[in-house]
Amino acid sequence: MTIRLIGYSASYPTLRVIICLKELGLPYELEPPASYQSLKDEDFIANKHPFGKMPVLFDGDFRITESRAICRYLASKYQGKHNDIILIPKDVHKAGLVDQFISYELSYYDPPLSKLVYQEKFAKKFFNKDPDPEIIKQAHEELAKVLDVYEKLLEGKEYLNGEYSLADLVLCPGTNYVYGAGHSDLWDNRPNVKNWWSRLCNRDANKKSFEEIKSFWENN
Amino acid sequence: MTVKIVGFEVSPGVLSVMMCLHELGVPYQIENPASWQALKDEDFIANKHPFYNNYSGKIPVLCDGDYTITETRAICRYLVSKYQGKYNDTILIPNDVHKAGLVDQYISYEYSYYTPPVAKLVVEEVFHKTSNPELVETSQKEIDKVLNVYEKLLNGKEYLNGEFSLADVLHISYTHFIFSSTKYADWWNKKPNVKQWWDRISNRDCWKKCVEKIKF
Repeated sequence: MTIRLIGYSASYPTLRVIICLKELGLPYELEPPASYQSLKDEDFIANKHPFGKMPVLFDGDFRITESRAICRYLASKYQGKHNDIILIPKDVHKAGLVDQFISYELSYYDPPLSKLVYQEKFAKKFFNKDPDPEIIKQAHEELAKVLDVYEKLLEGKEYLNGEYSLADLVLCPGTNYVYGAGHSDLWDNRPNVKNWWSRLCNRDANKKSFEEIKSFWENN
Repeated sequence: MTVKIVGFEVSPGVLSVMMCLHELGVPYQIENPASWQALKDEDFIANKHPFYNNYSGKIPVLCDGDYTITETRAICRYLVSKYQGKYNDTILIPNDVHKAGLVDQYISYEYSYYTPPVAKLVVEEVFHKTSNPELVETSQKEIDKVLNVYEKLLNGKEYLNGEFSLADVLHISYTHFIFSSTKYADWWNKKPNVKQWWDRISNRDCWKKCVEKIKF
């Protein structure tokens, strides 16, 4: 029974699920939609994502949407089955903290990060809009404040919850984009954050995923 | 009693955690910080919740014995993992991995699509008591789009995932303030499935107990 992932690998929520699948050692088929516009088609809304978004994952007949929910589902179902990678610890207290750090990512880290991804990578290329320097400046400053907190959170730790977990994974794809789009100082100027990002970049799943994306951008 | 919520009983996040505790039958206490400003004190930032913005620091924080955890949805998931089935039979996250995945998906719809426009309106009009007709107009359009999707999602279902779950719980607190303190309840009530769903979840005994505790 194959796992089908509907999405563009260039879209970082889709890439989040790709990294998760790779970390867990799960084979999958990627099905890019016909176009961004096709996400709003009646058929897509009815049978894939009711809000017209990607990614969408099919595991046999089972359909699930929303990248972080998909990752949690994959971890719950498959972690430990193909390899030893643990994305969500079994211990209820450790798992709670992983969840807390995932919430920090979606509440505080991702909002400014996603603005920068859009402005720096997608605005001109896909939507023919010039990047807005004011938005970029504000988002950069907001993300700087967030990373000041992460610098403290990472004190004496290799990963957010001590050991590598889904909490670290969820922010990798967006970070990869923004780091490479002229904002590397945000991570490099903070020693704990810098080492942590470096460690994350060295993971096989990230290396492979970031390579795949690189060729996408070079060819499009 | 080991479970303590740090926060104010008007914060929708705090109310969500209270609802979760009531549903699971877990006894708890609430500790009110000295003030909203105190949430930005060095001590609070260092030992309770590390994030803050121009307005305030963040609540709720949950202390369970020596264990401290923040962020409403993470707290609720933790409470379910630890206490579901211990005090009563209420199931907020199903044991089946596929059903649990869908509950997670609906929680993601809540924080990605539902809560942002609803919270923006509630914070402005109800908490900051500002009148902003432009915001009302944009909010109505956005919320209407979201509720149209929910109207379809709830077709033939009593709750988002069929049976009552944490996903429904997390929709309650901000919506409550729309119904109790604004004139926009109509935006929900004019959609039959949404209206029935709201009536069902807001009339639960546990939610009524939480409403009694709201300190506004």
